[in-house]
Amino acid sequence: MSGTVIELYSDADLRRLRAQIRGWRVALGVLAAVALAVCVALAAVTGTANAARTEPAAVIVSTVLGWVILYCHIFVVTAKQRELTHARMLREEERERVEGPVTVTKERLVIRKSITARRVEVRGEEGRRLLVCESRAGTLAQARATAVYAAHGYAAAYEVEP
Amino acid sequence: MRFFRNVFSQLHTFVLWALFSVLFWGWIFALITDTSPAKKIAVYCDVPELRDVDLAVELERHMPEGIRMVKVHSFDYVMMDIENIGKGDIFIVAASDLEKYAEFLTGPDGESGVKIYDAATGTGAAAEYIGYTDEDFYLFLGSGSVHLEDGKAAQVAGQLLSMTGDAPGD
Repeated sequence: MSGTVIELYSDADLRRLRAQIRGWRVALGVLAAVALAVCVALAAVTGTANAARTEPAAVIVSTVLGWVILYCHIFVVTAKQRELTHARMLREEERERVEGPVTVTKERLVIRKSITARRVEVRGEEGRRLLVCESRAGTLAQARATAVYAAHGYAAAYEVEP
Repeated sequence: MRFFRNVFSQLHTFVLWALFSVLFWGWIFALITDTSPAKKIAVYCDVPELRDVDLAVELERHMPEGIRMVKVHSFDYVMMDIENIGKGDIFIVAASDLEKYAEFLTGPDGESGVKIYDAATGTGAAAEYIGYTDEDFYLFLGSGSVHLEDGKAAQVAGQLLSMTGDAPGD
């Protein structure tokens, strides 16, 4: 008998991820524009008397804000972009139903450089080891799932008793 | 901990960005703070201590028409590239070094230099900016200056000599 199937990434989750990525990109773009504007302003007011102060100031502003932008882009925006791609893949790929009690272990793996996943053990007749994205591990762990739908070795949805 | 782990994993990217930032803005500011010899007056001082920026700012208050900036350097600035000295417009040289730099020097009157610092009395022009040592110093124009004929080098030299009003004559 089949129970209720719940997606780990709903349409609303995908929309939220897309909005977050767009928001971060806009914020980082604004920060880059501010950094450039400050450096251009420093260059514009530079003369013989203050060049020894304005040049290091421009270098510091450019370097530090550049670091902030690079860090956020690499570790936030790109990570979210990868999660979105991963979530789309889970929604679109063909799935198989794996039945049995589901346990989310504490074992962590970093996949595709930035997606952190947790190991999932399904102790059914066959016994399967899957992965679940870290951001959805808590949901799956508390769900009392009776079956998992797997795509490419990842838990994409779970089934609970109605 | 995660922050530092992330940073170390991309350390090369952050170092490259810092390098790019230093080189790019260094280049931009070099373009802003320098110009062609035709639009600047370069003053070289044969002294160990020099308030180069302050002296340049003071001389820029009354720049000749067509001159955008005054650059003041100690001789150390061109020590590794002696050819650059030949491009100087004004020189302040210690008496003991006159022979050494003779080929680059010409006096405002076409011959000798003007004494700008007298060691015996301890008085000299622009002494608050130029750290004269314990010998006489002379002001010359550069024999390779592009501002000899238009008189702009001599004009700035005159301004330099009048900066304290007590410069000893030749």
